[in-house]
Amino acid sequence: MQKTADTSRGSIAGISMDNQEKLLAESLQNVRQHAFAMKRVLDQQSVMEGLKHAANMLGELRTSLLSPKNYYELHVVVVEELHHLELYLTDEFEHGRGSHDLYEVVQYAGNIVPRLYLLITIGHVYIRANELPRREVLRDLVEMCRGVQHPLRGLFLRNYLLQCAKSLLPDTEEENQEENKTGTILDSLDFILLNFSEMNKLWVRMQYQGHTRDLNRREQERRELRILVGTNLVRLSELECVNVERYKTIVLPKIMEQVVSCRDAIAQEYLMECIIQVFPDEYHLNTLNEFLKGCRELSPTVNIRNILISLIDRLTSYSTRDQQNIPENIQLFDIFSEQITEVIKSRSTMPSEDIVALQSALLSLSLKCYRDQFEYGNKVLENTRQIFDNIALDTQVTTGTQAAKELVKMLKIPIDCYDILDVLKLNHYKLVLQLLSYRERHTVCMYIINSILDKETIIPTAEQVTQLFDLVSTLIIDQPDGSLEHSRQTITNEDFVEEQNLVARLCNTFKAINDPDQQYHIIKTCQDTFKNGGLERMRFTYPPMIMQAYALTFRYKDIREQDEKWEKKCQKLFQLSNQLINTLTKLETNDLSLRLYLQGALTASEIRSENAETIAYEFFSQAYTLYEEQAGDTRAQCASLTLLIGTLEKVSCFGEENHSTLRQSLTQAATRLVKRPDQVRTLLLCTHLFWSAQRVDESTQKSEQIRDSEKVIACLKKAAKLIAQVMDQTAQVQLYNELLNSYIYFFNQNHPDIDINVLNTLIEKLQSDISKLDSTSSTTHTSSNDGDEFIRSQIQKTFDYLRQQSQLEKFQGLQINN
Amino acid sequence: MDILGLGSKVDVEFLLDPQGQRKQIEVKIDENKRSLQYIYYDGEDVNGTIQIKLKKNSKIEHQGIRLEFIGHVEMLNDRSTVHEFLNLSKLLTFPGELTESTSMDFAFQNVEKPYESYIGINVKLRYFLRVTIIKRFSNNVFERDICVQQLSQFPEINNSIKMEVGIEDCLHIEFEYNKSKYHLKDVIVGKIYFLLVRIKIKHMEIAILKKENTGSGPNIYAESETIAKYEIMDGAPVRGESIPIRLFLAGYDLTPTMRDIQKKFSVRYFLNLVLVDEEERRYFKQQEIVLWRKQEKDKDKSKQSAQQYAHYERPEAATNKSEDNGTGANSGENSSVNGPLSSENNSDIPSD
Repeated sequence: MQKTADTSRGSIAGISMDNQEKLLAESLQNVRQHAFAMKRVLDQQSVMEGLKHAANMLGELRTSLLSPKNYYELHVVVVEELHHLELYLTDEFEHGRGSHDLYEVVQYAGNIVPRLYLLITIGHVYIRANELPRREVLRDLVEMCRGVQHPLRGLFLRNYLLQCAKSLLPDTEEENQEENKTGTILDSLDFILLNFSEMNKLWVRMQYQGHTRDLNRREQERRELRILVGTNLVRLSELECVNVERYKTIVLPKIMEQVVSCRDAIAQEYLMECIIQVFPDEYHLNTLNEFLKGCRELSPTVNIRNILISLIDRLTSYSTRDQQNIPENIQLFDIFSEQITEVIKSRSTMPSEDIVALQSALLSLSLKCYRDQFEYGNKVLENTRQIFDNIALDTQVTTGTQAAKELVKMLKIPIDCYDILDVLKLNHYKLVLQLLSYRERHTVCMYIINSILDKETIIPTAEQVTQLFDLVSTLIIDQPDGSLEHSRQTITNEDFVEEQNLVARLCNTFKAINDPDQQYHIIKTCQDTFKNGGLERMRFTYPPMIMQAYALTFRYKDIREQDEKWEKKCQKLFQLSNQLINTLTKLETNDLSLRLYLQGALTASEIRSENAETIAYEFFSQAYTLYEEQAGDTRAQCASLTLLIGTLEKVSCFGEENHSTLRQSLTQAATRLVKRPDQVRTLLLCTHLFWSAQRVDESTQKSEQIRDSEKVIACLKKAAKLIAQVMDQTAQVQLYNELLNSYIYFFNQNHPDIDINVLNTLIEKLQSDISKLDSTSSTTHTSSNDGDEFIRSQIQKTFDYLRQQSQLEKFQGLQINN
Repeated sequence: MDILGLGSKVDVEFLLDPQGQRKQIEVKIDENKRSLQYIYYDGEDVNGTIQIKLKKNSKIEHQGIRLEFIGHVEMLNDRSTVHEFLNLSKLLTFPGELTESTSMDFAFQNVEKPYESYIGINVKLRYFLRVTIIKRFSNNVFERDICVQQLSQFPEINNSIKMEVGIEDCLHIEFEYNKSKYHLKDVIVGKIYFLLVRIKIKHMEIAILKKENTGSGPNIYAESETIAKYEIMDGAPVRGESIPIRLFLAGYDLTPTMRDIQKKFSVRYFLNLVLVDEEERRYFKQQEIVLWRKQEKDKDKSKQSAQQYAHYERPEAATNKSEDNGTGANSGENSSVNGPLSSENNSDIPSD
């Protein structure tokens, strides 16, 4: 068992990947051959020969030519084959045939790598067979492995050792007296900790071997191998006899000593992360100071931020999971707060985004673990602001930087875990928010509002509304640092529209439940704030406020028994609304203010407070004025007029004087419209103003319907006349149909002057017109068929209705063709 | 057992151990030839029976039959010089005639056997029985070798070997072997501490060298032979590492150290520590160890088994250093170098 071929030594530099494949294939081929030979002689019970072949096979692991990845491949196969030997020997012992001197025999192997693999294998078998004392052998193996100082080979050798030792490590407090020195947990700790530090040293050493131009590749390779080192820590965490006390006094100090002293950034980052992940939360809680002290001693290039954040996150989720409470005696927040301050202090070059990220984690911890202690979260925010002020007072963080992004993340944390009312209690929140430049502030403000809307949080007091506005003022008033954005703040910018729509929706969450006066204050607050926002914003922010004011009048009306001054308060609200709408009239379109006025008129009519009629008239007349100013856009005018007519029909608080003024104005306005069809249609609507619209009887103070049948007929006739003047036959027919419908309505309403004959006349007229229409349209344009079709079906529906009704007594004498 | 052509009439057999109690050993005579020999120790009787076998119907007339017990040193490169240091002689039969096969008992009492049997490259130390049937013209001679092993007492002084060696500003190591005198079934346990490493070491091995010196004056022949070559480290260590050594001797073909035997020859053993760097340069340090033969006892078994996992422990307070190997405490006393490491730049010709 002297030595295997010495071909495999050489330099790793300059090997191409193709070559790697080939080398690996060759090595694997050799391994298989030797393994085959080994198994064959083992079948013939020849242990010595078997060991010889095993040594030859293991000789392949002496190569320096393979990349770590391929070496790993080779290692896997070799270890698998080695397992056969192990099984064979174990079997021998189980049948009482085991040879007793193999542990010595294999030590004659001339080359160290095969020798140690064999030694580990035999040691494993002997311990299991109780042939040699467990404690001594484990100690021996871990010591002897020092002989392999080549990083890659050493790492894999020790990995094999760890793998074999897995089931052998003593995990008891007391030594088993009967058996061969079995050892205790302390021996296991010695074993793993030594193996760990040796492996780590080898791993770190890789960094410094070879040419500097290959540094990146080497670092990559090291990262691929890190799990080998980390497995030691996993093994430690699996030992049952490691309790908090032992972790604190033995395990952690030893690991830390190695981590700190290796002074290698890659190792430190990985191992700290590893410690955090493999050991239980309770251990971390009890060793916070030790761990964090270690953190401060790490190499300056280590990304300490990730380590700390990882620990904080772990403990945070621990405390929030299953209602685990952080033990009283552990001042989690204070410890972290202090240590993070220390870390930041000790690393003057730490980028500000890292500082922020750390503070974020701390904030998250304080908010999640200490939900009720606002001062903790507040303190973190205060510290954060302080840190930035120390760097440069009152300077905003440049937009788009990492630091800005981290700050945004940080500011989202309280929003996510609190509702806004609690966030408002963090009075330093705003100060941190102000550190941001326009764009990031905008992002955070949007986030805040969206969160409020998603959670449907109700904001109940004017004071809180003020605070909230203060917080999201970026969206509400023009910002000195947002000048670039100003030009974009128009109705045509979708983002702006979306943003302001959010603000508008936000207003709907301001609800002082059971306290109308408070609600009034809220509205005033809104007004005070929104008035500074500029006209473009008012377009969005005023309407909800006005609607809130209207809504509030209803609430006052509801409590009119308890509140004597309710009418006055309503009056005030209407005045306020009037003022606000008036501001909106400066906008280029009148539609919005017109509608708001009409809504106000309706509201006043419903409220019926003392001077409701005056208010309603004022609002209505304002709306009418706006309508008049609308000249030019015929379609809009028609639509507005329709609105006016509809509203007047519903408003019931006018006396005859006001009402007649208004209804006549509207009727005239209808005839003054430009297009005939518009004239006809609005006129037909106006008929209702003389019929079902309500006025207040001066003597009785009761509402009554107007029922002015003459005026109704006059309107209808006027409409009929106008229809006759329509040139387009199709439109004409359509309008006739609409006229017929109006007649039918009033017939049903028992209008005194409309009888079945009037209907018959109209039906006849319509039918003849249709047949005319058919003859012309079938020869001329076919393109308007769709429109025709629509009209025809409309008329058809009218006729269908009449046919149905013709059975009734009321409709006797109705002449309609089937 | 020299059966000569003319001995066809007669043959002699040596019965040395009729009860089959004496240990035998396979002795390597030369590359291809091995023989089994009985083992004798100093002061032991050499006795037994000589059987003289005659062919049927033949007779031998002789001038007497003599038995000798001889110890001598043969210089192999000079056949003519044989130095006898022991010659005991007995006349077994007076002159007469042998007509049939016959047996004769003999005994040499308490024979002093001062040296160990040895077969080397240039020298042989033999013990043998020789039966001579003296005849008028040519004597019939029969010989039978025995193997003598020289048991030694436990050495009274057996210090560890500790030495710091190096190449200035390049490599400083300190090595320690637990003893300076090892018995043939012993285990060498030791450690190498690396105090300074500025060269890229590829591996390190330890070799057992056997040096045989024969002759004297102008006719000195020195032979060196590598008995064992044993890799103890793979890869490049850094400052502060300590590498364990554990080398079992039992498996190798070793003899006790022999000094100035009969003023004719010496056999000495050396441990050669060799470091090989990436350019295949070899740095080495030889250190003599004394090998001795220990009486084998059954109770050694358990002790032997513990040696399987023996580690070198420093005897005195120096232990703290071995623990502190992570940082490589390099105190003032270590900076002096006791001896230089030899270096040979022979990447073409391996030294052995």
